[in-house]
Amino acid sequence: MTRRWTCAAPLSLGLVWAVVACRQADRLPPNDREVVARRTDTTALAPGALTMLPAAPVTGWKGPGERPFEVTLRTADPVSALARRFGTITLRTSLRARTPDLGQYPCTSCHLGRRMVLADERVADAHQNIKPIHPAQTGAACSTCHAPDNVEYLALKSGERATLDHAYRLCAQCHFSQADAWAGGGHGKRLDGWQGRRVVMGCGDCHDPHKPTLEPRIPFRAPQLQRQRGDAP
Amino acid sequence: MRADRAPAMPNADDERTVLQKRVDRRRALGILLGGVAVGAQAMTACSPVAPMTDEARETRLLAWREYIKGNYRSMTETERGETIARLERLAKVTRGADVKIQSTSAQPGVMFGYAFNISKCKGFRNCVEACINENNLDRRAGTQYIRIFEMEDGVVDLDEADATFQHEVPAEGHFYMGTQCFQCADPPCVKVCPVGATWQEPDGITVIDYDWCIGCRYCMAACPYWARRFNWSAPDVPVAEINPNQHYLGNRARKMGVVEKCTFCIHRTRQGRLPACAEACPTGARVFGNLLDPSSEIRWVLANKKVFRLKEDLKTEPRFWYFTD
Amino acid sequence: MHLKPFVLSALRSATTGGRRYHVWMGSLTLIMLAGAYAYSLQLRYGLGVTGMSDHVSWGLYISNFTFLVGMAAAAMMLVLPAYILHDVDFGRAVLMAEAVAVAAIVMCLGFVVVDIGNPLGSWHLIPGVGYLNWPRSLLAWDVVVLNGYLVINLAIPFYILYGRFRGRPPEKRRYLIWMYIAVMWAVSIHLVTAFLLAGLPARPFWNTALLGPRFLASAFTAGPAFVILLLWFIKQTTKYEIADGAFAKLALITTVTAQINLIMLGSELFYKFYSPTHHGINARYLFFGLDGHHALVPWIWTAIAVNAIATVVLMIHPLRHDPRWLMPACAALFIGIWVEKGMGLVIPGFIPSPLGEIVEYTPTVVELGVTAGVWALGLFVLTVLVRVALPIELGEVRSPYIEKATPSAPIVRPRSTPPLRQPTPPVRTR
Repeated sequence: MTRRWTCAAPLSLGLVWAVVACRQADRLPPNDREVVARRTDTTALAPGALTMLPAAPVTGWKGPGERPFEVTLRTADPVSALARRFGTITLRTSLRARTPDLGQYPCTSCHLGRRMVLADERVADAHQNIKPIHPAQTGAACSTCHAPDNVEYLALKSGERATLDHAYRLCAQCHFSQADAWAGGGHGKRLDGWQGRRVVMGCGDCHDPHKPTLEPRIPFRAPQLQRQRGDAP
Repeated sequence: MRADRAPAMPNADDERTVLQKRVDRRRALGILLGGVAVGAQAMTACSPVAPMTDEARETRLLAWREYIKGNYRSMTETERGETIARLERLAKVTRGADVKIQSTSAQPGVMFGYAFNISKCKGFRNCVEACINENNLDRRAGTQYIRIFEMEDGVVDLDEADATFQHEVPAEGHFYMGTQCFQCADPPCVKVCPVGATWQEPDGITVIDYDWCIGCRYCMAACPYWARRFNWSAPDVPVAEINPNQHYLGNRARKMGVVEKCTFCIHRTRQGRLPACAEACPTGARVFGNLLDPSSEIRWVLANKKVFRLKEDLKTEPRFWYFTD
Repeated sequence: MHLKPFVLSALRSATTGGRRYHVWMGSLTLIMLAGAYAYSLQLRYGLGVTGMSDHVSWGLYISNFTFLVGMAAAAMMLVLPAYILHDVDFGRAVLMAEAVAVAAIVMCLGFVVVDIGNPLGSWHLIPGVGYLNWPRSLLAWDVVVLNGYLVINLAIPFYILYGRFRGRPPEKRRYLIWMYIAVMWAVSIHLVTAFLLAGLPARPFWNTALLGPRFLASAFTAGPAFVILLLWFIKQTTKYEIADGAFAKLALITTVTAQINLIMLGSELFYKFYSPTHHGINARYLFFGLDGHHALVPWIWTAIAVNAIATVVLMIHPLRHDPRWLMPACAALFIGIWVEKGMGLVIPGFIPSPLGEIVEYTPTVVELGVTAGVWALGLFVLTVLVRVALPIELGEVRSPYIEKATPSAPIVRPRSTPPLRQPTPPVRTR
């Protein structure tokens, strides 16, 4: 009797484990060639926290001075004057994390089972603020850029996936010369000073991916060519 | 008798004029004293003379010490500290502003360079606004160090450009190009100053000692890029808008009658920060960095983009390049 | 020991005169006072009371300065023949020309002082106490040469006049070397002023090799023209003898330099307009207007026309020797060159700006007031100097301490009473 229980227990445990593991497998991305680190702790991206996330060098790109373009992520520091300001030191280029800015992140808060909801099941006011101008220009559908099976990821042409924080990998597929300039320093903005660690903005920080062109605006006042006289007689 | 010393009486036939009439010493003294008394009365009636307050006395003394000081380059560290203390105190006493004036010198191994992307500039003039606020520019005169020119596609000709545009930008068929002081490597303005009030620092910034400048404006005639401005009247910045983070050679309060110009925000760049214009640009058209650092963005731009400078033939070697996407 | 009587008699000469003289000096004083008031406004409110701007940063003051440096240099045109070539004709005229030079330099220094934004900081220019950026800055050169020229032009006539005053004629060997120096210095003051403009590649209107020679040519036209007018006035109103030969030679010099001036103008016009480049845009603004801005066009063409007509008049031999033609022609040349060199040279250098912006310039009332005040100061100085020099030259005034009479300078005691009738002594009842 005792021998039967001692055999059944590990077996049943193993069975339970197998079932649970299969269900967990659904949560894993189907692609095992992912090159981007996966976020393990979602709370680490709360604004105000500084988290260093390891990343591999992005192959083929050179940063300024022919350095390998390595990317690490840092969260936004709301204490700074501009909401996008943060920074300090060390060697590599840091990228500003994009996802804290996304109002509807994480996607799984709406998308059940991480799949893109099909048209007839679409919630009426979801993503209504997005005007798909860039998709219209390029003839793209939502699934061209967003991985259909997991909306937290962007789908690259090579089959790889990139998180939303590393959207530059997606944009660079077409905008390779701009991406090259961005890695080197001729495109985009540097967030810290000219000295020390280089912290840059990502593509989405300036360009709305669905409507990338900057809006025209009325400029600051023009100079007066004729000198304004003071209180002189 | 004293007849030979008596004054000659005026005679009807006398052709001497009023100015040649002779009077004796006593009468002359009386006339002079009377004139002095009348004059003093008139002067005191026009200008109320009140007893001087302590504050006024202190301001007078500080102003006198500031007047007799030498050129900044010839000062010792102690003297520089003293003049900065005086200037900070004067700012507090005369305007109620708490300012902090640096005297940071150039970092070794640094030479500033600037690149401007004329494909990216859309003419927003965010840089102009940021510069005015950062550098305490005269609000009444509307001084602007930065000029943004709108040009038609096809030709880079400043004679045909317009900096006074005030319509929605970017306008169709036009592009935008900004100028400011280019901190030339061979600056014509430095050469011509008769008193040596302007010179180039080791990190490449051409600076002015405002208290040494005599206001002859020869440097303004010599600059090929129209980078220098003159204080035609006393500059006026509202106290609430004063940027208290100042540098002696940069954005501290200037006075009437002296020349000023862009200093690449010397109070920021010597602390490792970007100049206000580069930081403010929303399109990322401005690239700033250290030309001596091979891993800087400015070096990347110079190596990988087709760059040009204005008036290259004048051999002023400006440290400000233009490039396109 | 002769110095005190010299100064006293100089003061007396300067303050003695008829009604016309006092009206003249009084008017000049009034204008100087008005100019001083206008300058006080400038000191109080800043240079913003003038019409200058960041675009046209030099205006009427520097225009006048440029013109007057030329006048000062040209006075030396007479020194060269008189002292060095022993031309007797010029001998009487030279001191008057030196007076013109001193007055012109005083005006130049005056215009520089009113133009700078921080005049109380002028001590920064003094080497030792301040810092003079010599030899790199042409303006530093200008400070040195102008002040040196003033000293030379005060010292040499002082030596001559003082010598005559005390009955000891000046010794040529003592001052001849200074004359040579003065002549070279005169050319250099105007070349330095020309170089300070011509050495700026930022201003293509000035950045030409011909600017220095043009300056000299126009200076040596306007200077002798003014000296002719002055000498004629002196000849009409005093007993001072000036030979007709002096007038003839001066007029000839003026004619030749006026012709050279026109040739140089023609050369500049050809260079700027035959193959117009960007560098000629300032000339295009000046002569033909640019983008609807043409404020200076009538001025320059009038000036050129006046200069050309005056030159042609002077080229005609009988007219040149007739004062009724010579004097108006000289006055016309003086005015024409003032316009051409002042407004037609300094102002267009700034329009359009190096970045292509066009901002025109109009002097304000305050600016005109200060300018008038400085001119009045110069004329005042000139009158005083001439007034002091003439009696000494005429032999009317000598030191009371001279021991023996010389035939050319009889002892004349300083008069304590006017030269006319003695007042009748009062009748004494005793």
